[in-house]
Order: sequence, then structure tokens, then C-alpha cells
Amino acid sequence: MNVILKVILAVYNFFVGDLVILIGITLTMGILALIHFVDVLAPLRGASGIILIVGVLATLVATLGREVARPENKQKG
Amino acid sequence: MQWAIVIAAFLASAVEFVEAFTLVLVAGITVNWRSSIVGALAAVATLAVIIATLGVAIVTYVPLEVLRFVIGFLLLLFGLKWLKNAIQRYSGLKFLHDEEAIYAANLEQARARGETRGTRLDPFGVLLSYKSVLLEGLEVAFIVISFGGGGANGIRYAALGATAAGLLVIIVGAFVQAPLQKVPENTLKFIVGIMLTTFGTFWSGESFGIDWPFSDLFLLLLAALYLAASLLLIWAIRQRQQRVAPATTASEAQMLSQKKEARP
Repeated sequence: MNVILKVILAVYNFFVGDLVILIGITLTMGILALIHFVDVLAPLRGASGIILIVGVLATLVATLGREVARPENKQKG
Repeated sequence: MQWAIVIAAFLASAVEFVEAFTLVLVAGITVNWRSSIVGALAAVATLAVIIATLGVAIVTYVPLEVLRFVIGFLLLLFGLKWLKNAIQRYSGLKFLHDEEAIYAANLEQARARGETRGTRLDPFGVLLSYKSVLLEGLEVAFIVISFGGGGANGIRYAALGATAAGLLVIIVGAFVQAPLQKVPENTLKFIVGIMLTTFGTFWSGESFGIDWPFSDLFLLLLAALYLAASLLLIWAIRQRQQRVAPATTASEAQMLSQKKEARP
């Protein structure tokens, strides 16, 4: 069990290592999938590219925002 | 698109190979060059096998639409991680990577073993060199494989870029015989982060049927957009850090004076 957890953690750290990035990109992809596959949301398909770019930028801002908000970083200057 | 793949793979590989070279150098100097070179070559061979088998299998058997989604997704994760680290270093939230310090620390650690130099293959030297090249090279292997999202040729072009970077680091390293500390690692990581994020956005978008304007040329626009946004973020974080620093110092001084006043 311990070994499996270590492997999962190593894979996670290799590819992401940051929960905010993982959640942000997964959420963006989820929204795009909904727009792509659900007919009711078809009118939004034209804006998919913008939604994707905004999602990526929002994720970057969110993950950096979290780093800036860390107490140890508040004292750096 | 091919030139962009070659450049991205070249830059990403250059950064990782510079980091690996530092430890290969440590093994060469503290143990012997024979063990160090054998370890490094074995790791390069392992990486080549990983790229050849996994890369070719993925490109051959996975449909391009699925491949572009998965690879686009992973490239976005990977690219944002690199970009975030580079932005943090530029804005002072994180220390810059110091090859000289890493070299000194590892050199001291290896010398503490008390080994004497010889010409025979030394398992420690081989392993140190093998491990460092393999670990640093795994990211390169992943990046090369992920360029399979651009078709089978994508892997070839990316492998070409990676090989060129590897050769360049080896040649320069052989001449200098010191940690390559003058290589602007953070700048390279910043550029690679932007390129990976750009490719990730482009391919994952295509997998959802997004028809990007100007076709492949849109990659340039995307890269410019991410570059501008990143520069803006660096500027904003620096401004904030400058505002916070005096405030923190002032509040600390105030607390100190209050403590002094409270004393009898």
C-alpha cells in the first residue's frame, strides 16, 4: 500500500506537483467537453477557444496567487 | 510547426541536460570519468528505448483525436508547472537554480564517502551518473513523446532537438569541465513553459473541434499572449512584494518599540 501511494505521488509530482493547476485545467477541459457534447450548449461552441485560453490564464493566476498568499512569501521582499 | 517543435525540445532538453551534467561532473571528478561516462551513456540508452517504444506505440495505436486531447492536457499541466516556477524565480518568490551550489554540495557529499580515485568501474560513480541523467532526462523523454501529438514526425523533430541540445551540453561541458552556471536556466525554463502551454492549448483545443484562426500560425499569437500575460504577472508580483516588504519592516519596528516601552 505504501509503495503504491509512493508511486502515485511520484507520478503526480512528475506531471503536476500542483493541485491548483490540476483542478484548473481539469475544470476547463470539463467545461469544454460539456460544450462539445451537450446539444443545449452548442451555441457556446464558437467561444470554445476563448474559454480554453481564459481557463489556462485563470489557472496560472490562481496558482501564483496561492504562492503569493503563503505566509513565508508575505515576508519576502 | 516543425521548427517550433525542434526549438521547444531543444530548449527543454538543454535545461535538463545542464542539470544532469552537474552531477555527471561530480561523478567524474570524485570517482572517475570512466564510471561517470558509462552511467551517463546507459541512461541515455534507457531514455532512447523509452522514447522509441512508448512514443512509437502511442503514435501508432492511439487515434490522433484522443492523442491530442491527452497530450494537450498533459502539456498544459507540464507547461504551467514550468511557467509558474520560472515566474516565481523572476519575481523573487523562489531562489534561482544555482548549479555551482548544487555542484559544491554534491561534490562534498561524494567526497565524504572517502573513496580514492581509480580507473576501474565504480558502482557508486556509475549509479550517480545514471540516476541523474535518467531522472533529468525523463522530463525530456516525456516532452519528446508528447510532440507525437503533432504526428509521427513530431517525435522525430523533437528527438532531433533533444539530441542537438544533449550534444551541445556535452561539447561545451567537455571544454569547460565545470558546472555550466552561465546558462540562463530560468530564461530557458520560462520560454519552454510558454511553448509547452502554447502547444497544450493548441492541441487540446483541436481535440474539441476548435478551428484556430490562421491555422498553425495561431501558435505564434498564443505564445505572444502567454508571454505578455506572464510578464504582466511577474511585474504585478514584484510590485506587490515591494509594497509588502516596507510594511512588514514597519510593523516589526512598531512591535519592537512597543516591547521597549512596555519594559519597566
